[in-house]
Amino acid sequence: MTTRRAFLASLLAAGTAPHLGWAAVGDPAYLAAAKLPGGAFALAGIRADGSRAFRVPLPARGHAACAHPSRAEAVGFARRPGRYALVIDCVAGSVRHELSPPEGRQVNGHGAYSADGRLLYTSEQRTEDSRGFIGVWDVGAGYARVGEMETFGTGPHELRLMPDGQSLVVANGGIRTDRWDREKLNIDSMTPNLSYVSLEGDLLEQVELDPELSRNSIRHLALREDGLVGFAMQWQGDTADGWPLLGLHRRGEAPVLCEAPLGDELAMQGYAGSVAFAGDGSEIAITSPRGGRLHRFSDTGAFLGAVSRTDVCGLATHAEGYMASDGLGGVLLVDGQGAHPLSRADAAWDNHLVRIAG
Amino acid sequence: MRLALTLCTGLAATSAAAGVEEALTEHILPGYAAFAEKTAELSGETSEDCTPEAVKPAFNAAFDAWTRVGDIRIGPSETGALSVAFWPDSRGFTPRTLNRFISGEEARGTDAEAFAEASIAVRGLFALERMLYGEDLSDYAEGSYACTLVRTIAADLAGQAEALETGWREEFAPVLRSAGAPDNATYLTEEEAVRAIYTQVLTSLEFTADQRLGRPLGTFDRPRPERAEARRSGRPLRNVLRDAQGAVDLAKALADWELPETEAAMSRLREAAAQVSDPAFADLDDPSARLRVEIVQQHVRDVRRSIEEEIGVRLGLRPGFNSSDGD
Repeated sequence: MTTRRAFLASLLAAGTAPHLGWAAVGDPAYLAAAKLPGGAFALAGIRADGSRAFRVPLPARGHAACAHPSRAEAVGFARRPGRYALVIDCVAGSVRHELSPPEGRQVNGHGAYSADGRLLYTSEQRTEDSRGFIGVWDVGAGYARVGEMETFGTGPHELRLMPDGQSLVVANGGIRTDRWDREKLNIDSMTPNLSYVSLEGDLLEQVELDPELSRNSIRHLALREDGLVGFAMQWQGDTADGWPLLGLHRRGEAPVLCEAPLGDELAMQGYAGSVAFAGDGSEIAITSPRGGRLHRFSDTGAFLGAVSRTDVCGLATHAEGYMASDGLGGVLLVDGQGAHPLSRADAAWDNHLVRIAG
Repeated sequence: MRLALTLCTGLAATSAAAGVEEALTEHILPGYAAFAEKTAELSGETSEDCTPEAVKPAFNAAFDAWTRVGDIRIGPSETGALSVAFWPDSRGFTPRTLNRFISGEEARGTDAEAFAEASIAVRGLFALERMLYGEDLSDYAEGSYACTLVRTIAADLAGQAEALETGWREEFAPVLRSAGAPDNATYLTEEEAVRAIYTQVLTSLEFTADQRLGRPLGTFDRPRPERAEARRSGRPLRNVLRDAQGAVDLAKALADWELPETEAAMSRLREAAAQVSDPAFADLDDPSARLRVEIVQQHVRDVRRSIEEEIGVRLGLRPGFNSSDGD
């Protein structure tokens, strides 16, 4: 039960104006960006049953969003590498803040809140050489920039708060991009890694794959409560090569690659767009919009099967398996039996489906 | 009356379900049936005489049949096509695995049923091509392990073709036909089924331009004729034309209206192909030979563009939102 004192304390923590929680926008379980038929962009809240909780306009196409753990507030990131991120008030449908990283930094499409929602961490790169940084923003101070830390790699993409709440795991994609046109500059020498960084900015552990896999850009992450990390990759070489696109890692151990049979691997077109654990944590999946398919693996890396769905990309944990979204507007529940359509919007769902904590 | 009839045709043409049934019954299902028939003949020929010269005609007839439907990558063909036609083999799996089978006389190579579990790199048309045409492998004699392996590959190929034909006819055609039905989790609307077939047409032409032609073309400084598809059997240009025609025919079945631009582009592609000096693309080091193949590539892309204009624009179909622009 919320006491008056606790209520006031939460107001203070949240800043001067009261902030409404996710219940105020219809209790969504997920956030997803979309392109509407007329060409406009929107951010939508989706419930666990696939129904729409809310929809608010976005000024431009975003990459991913991240959801504040309690406030009905989301950060939408510009397509990477971008110059800004927007804090969206999901109740009013307005832009509450525009976050601009300091000169010489670009935001890279993903971010994560601290467990208490007081700080926001953003994945960034230095414009001149794509060296990775984590921007730190104070939510209560109107998202003031309060610091930055290294990611210990090049071209970081997704970052996530580890379940201990004390460290971040970062997918350093390894790709150096031209500051103007995203051209990839270092494919022959790229070395992606998975880095664990303390909230004080210290490197706790770093994982690199075998040199023959150096072109496998580590880009997206999934976390299980016990600290098992799933990392999804995008192959920066010949799509006919058929390398694995998913790895599992636990702190202090060697990474495990999740390999599908060669024919299935090739059908993914060397590209994994999103990754998520299933609701019971026993398995993990990746999506490939290019292959129009989803691959399921056990939490020890054994291939469990594929599900076909055109342009599928968004993927998130669902109590009964996975929630998937696609560019044709479909929202599907995926479990061991296959896909079960829940809804179809007259809109194209963008890359990611983001689960709201709690 | 006449006006009313024209109007009805016009409406039918733009309805969401345009041509799924025709694409199935006029192109896809007969395509797999013919492939099953030709691979059964190939397997039959091979069991009578396994030596390369005896098998080659039936091999080429089966490959010809495959090019009608070989680029389709939905339903049973999504992964099933890869074990029929494992190409491009960028990591050199096929020669490595074949050599391992032959040097170790692996038991799986003598049993078509067990062979179905073998690596897809050692199965299908390209493994067979290597056995029949590869300088290093094709000198086998009747009674040898390699001879038995050729029979096994051919029998397995016939089995795959039969499974594809049955899978399409009995399982996947109904999925396409029931697009939009409440229990259809693959195609949530009728339009999605049209889009799926339309996408097969475009990706086939893209594959022909970028891979069948793009791989051997390489760069101007470094052409890679040894990367041409089915070069050992001298089929590179033949496959380009047959696969492109297969894509155009599928497009024509899908659209129940005329495609004059597409037909004209296909004719220009044939004219350009007639100028190519070596149908196996072995002479791409020669700039003028290279230029002729580049022109063929441009014409394949023109065919694709014409289909986008004559079908895609008309039906309002655009490339996938996520597949065309990832992050």
